[in-house]
Amino acid sequence: MRKTHSPFDYMMQTIGLLLPRSTYYTGLSFDIFEGVRSSLRHMERDTIRLVTENIGFGTDKQLCYKAAEELIMHENATVVLAYIGHRMAQVLKPLFQASNRLLIVLDAGANVPHEWPETPNIIYHSLHNSFGSWLAAKRAANDGFSQGGMVTGYYDGGYLQTWGLCSGFAAAGGSIAFNHATGYNKDDFSMLPLKEHVEKYPKGVLLSIFSGDYVQWYFEGLKDLFGENHLPVYLPPFAHEETMLSNAVHPGGQIKGIAAWSSQLNNPENTIFMDAIDSAGRTPNLFSLIGWEGAILAARASDLMLENKNKVELVSNTLNAFSFDGPRGTVSFHAPTRHTLAPLYETSIQKDENGTCSLLIEKSVENSRSDFEQFITISTENAISGWYNSYTCI
Amino acid sequence: MEQKRILVLCGGQFAFPTLQTLGLEKFLCGVGIGKGEKEVLAVLEQERVTNGLTYKSFPDKESLSDLKDWIEELQPDYIFSISFPFLLSEDVLSFGEERFINFHPGPLPEYRGPMPLFEVLRYQEKETAISVHFMNPEFDEGAVILKEKLAISPNETYGELAIKLSERTAMVALNMAHMLQFGSQIPRTAQDENQARYFEKPEVADTFIQWKRMPADEIISLINACNPWNQGADTLLQGRNIKILSASLSENQHTDIPGKVLNVTPDGEIAVSCLDGQIIHVQILAGDFGIQTAERFAAKKPVLGLLFNS
Repeated sequence: MRKTHSPFDYMMQTIGLLLPRSTYYTGLSFDIFEGVRSSLRHMERDTIRLVTENIGFGTDKQLCYKAAEELIMHENATVVLAYIGHRMAQVLKPLFQASNRLLIVLDAGANVPHEWPETPNIIYHSLHNSFGSWLAAKRAANDGFSQGGMVTGYYDGGYLQTWGLCSGFAAAGGSIAFNHATGYNKDDFSMLPLKEHVEKYPKGVLLSIFSGDYVQWYFEGLKDLFGENHLPVYLPPFAHEETMLSNAVHPGGQIKGIAAWSSQLNNPENTIFMDAIDSAGRTPNLFSLIGWEGAILAARASDLMLENKNKVELVSNTLNAFSFDGPRGTVSFHAPTRHTLAPLYETSIQKDENGTCSLLIEKSVENSRSDFEQFITISTENAISGWYNSYTCI
Repeated sequence: MEQKRILVLCGGQFAFPTLQTLGLEKFLCGVGIGKGEKEVLAVLEQERVTNGLTYKSFPDKESLSDLKDWIEELQPDYIFSISFPFLLSEDVLSFGEERFINFHPGPLPEYRGPMPLFEVLRYQEKETAISVHFMNPEFDEGAVILKEKLAISPNETYGELAIKLSERTAMVALNMAHMLQFGSQIPRTAQDENQARYFEKPEVADTFIQWKRMPADEIISLINACNPWNQGADTLLQGRNIKILSASLSENQHTDIPGKVLNVTPDGEIAVSCLDGQIIHVQILAGDFGIQTAERFAAKKPVLGLLFNS
């Protein structure tokens, strides 16, 4: 049924929001939405009208296209935030080009584009999970490990973050000695094949790509199989979800990684963000974070669209010089790829008094911008992902 | 929803990546090839035999009389034109309003005409565009749906830019196909006639180096814009036609008259004076002697002090 509009709706600045759903992580769209809404409220930008559309798992091209078209054509949104991947952004690209509108892709960064985009109609605000995986593997090699085993699951392993992990390890002088990809149902989830690998490569390191519950299962599997004598573990950003970690049994031994954000980051913006999400009755996490930061970008972009009469190229080029202090530090643009960059953090996972995991932020990654510039020059060659859905939308 | 069927009218290899992409994505229902060279037709024939591709050759204007009937027979949902060398008549276009979409390899309305790649390079643009527009009975005048911009690299030649545009056109064509498949309406913007410029196919006057009028960067841009389709930019040396295929700007300056060979560098490049005090280093030349490096050319013919266009 067509929505009814007040005549004033068309006079208001309107931001559209394309939200996916996830049966694996049911709170995903609520968290993103709350992040956007709370951020707009905090900025006292309540006059901006926020209109949402559902895009399923983010895989149905027609559903995504129609939803974006609805926001642009019927809701008069000049800026649309969408939690989608690069591939779906390509499908939506001609619509935004033809209608002179700006798409802000909110991306987990689990996949890597085969060509880094340059169109002014799309900007990317990413949590950079692939880049973070690349850095985590590089960190492992720099810590002295030269034989790596990539350990992942059927779902996480389908994204090019695995390529990021392997290429990061190779870039720092390591080589992948073995791989293990486990099933994604609890019954199929097994670390048993690692036993043989570990015996063969006792000085190796486990370069791991898991997220959500899989991290808990992974740690349980390591503990059951090796006790505290498992090989050192390195983790990507999405394995650092703190609510999940607080429920995960620590398997002992060394666990390090690269995180995009933590509740422990000690800055005023992080405190404001967490208080706002808490007071809305939700737990702050990576999804509410990306919504919170996305709203800051969208509000600025919406103002610029108004000032510049929807001249998207001008708006986009102006945004290249825009930066803001957010919960994870200063967010700024990498103009050639139209991606935002934010600090990433070196972590270690500690055992708390309950025997579960707690995150320790050691320091921010030095020179992450120049690392990113190196990362984007590496060709993905024949590495292809078969996953079209937005990350964790299964 | 039924997949849209798209007929592509094209002029040759430039459209091959698009044909491949639309074919893989099951949008392609046929290919019309205008003025197709033997090699191109051979590839299409091979595709017909192995993959059942429907194609038809239109070697000249007269053969276009069959085009309307062929389109009626195929009944495509849309017709994409990618460097198709002929203007489509009103009769052909009457197959369906808004069914004909042209992928013009240059910014519109500023660079209308058959060879926008040459013009954007000659005019030293920093970026170009693939302009996707609805077709009408005039060349490159219909309402623009979208413009896909892409940067021109320093010293990029016509050939290099054509390859880049050809590959990008495939992506734009697929995006456009998705838009037609999923969109309920196609936004478009009428071209601003005040900004419009039409460039005819370049003639010798356009490809000729005017040593007494052109500064060094303009000469190098012209040379790049003529490589390889014209085998380089035209000039004269001792009354003989010469084409310069490759040259670069020197860091040195001069105070001599323009168009004079100042020296042959240790790398074998021919240093030529330009109007603005700059010097260009010629690396490759062509003529009735074939295509040669400047080093080889200068070894056989004493060039020091010679004047181009004299």
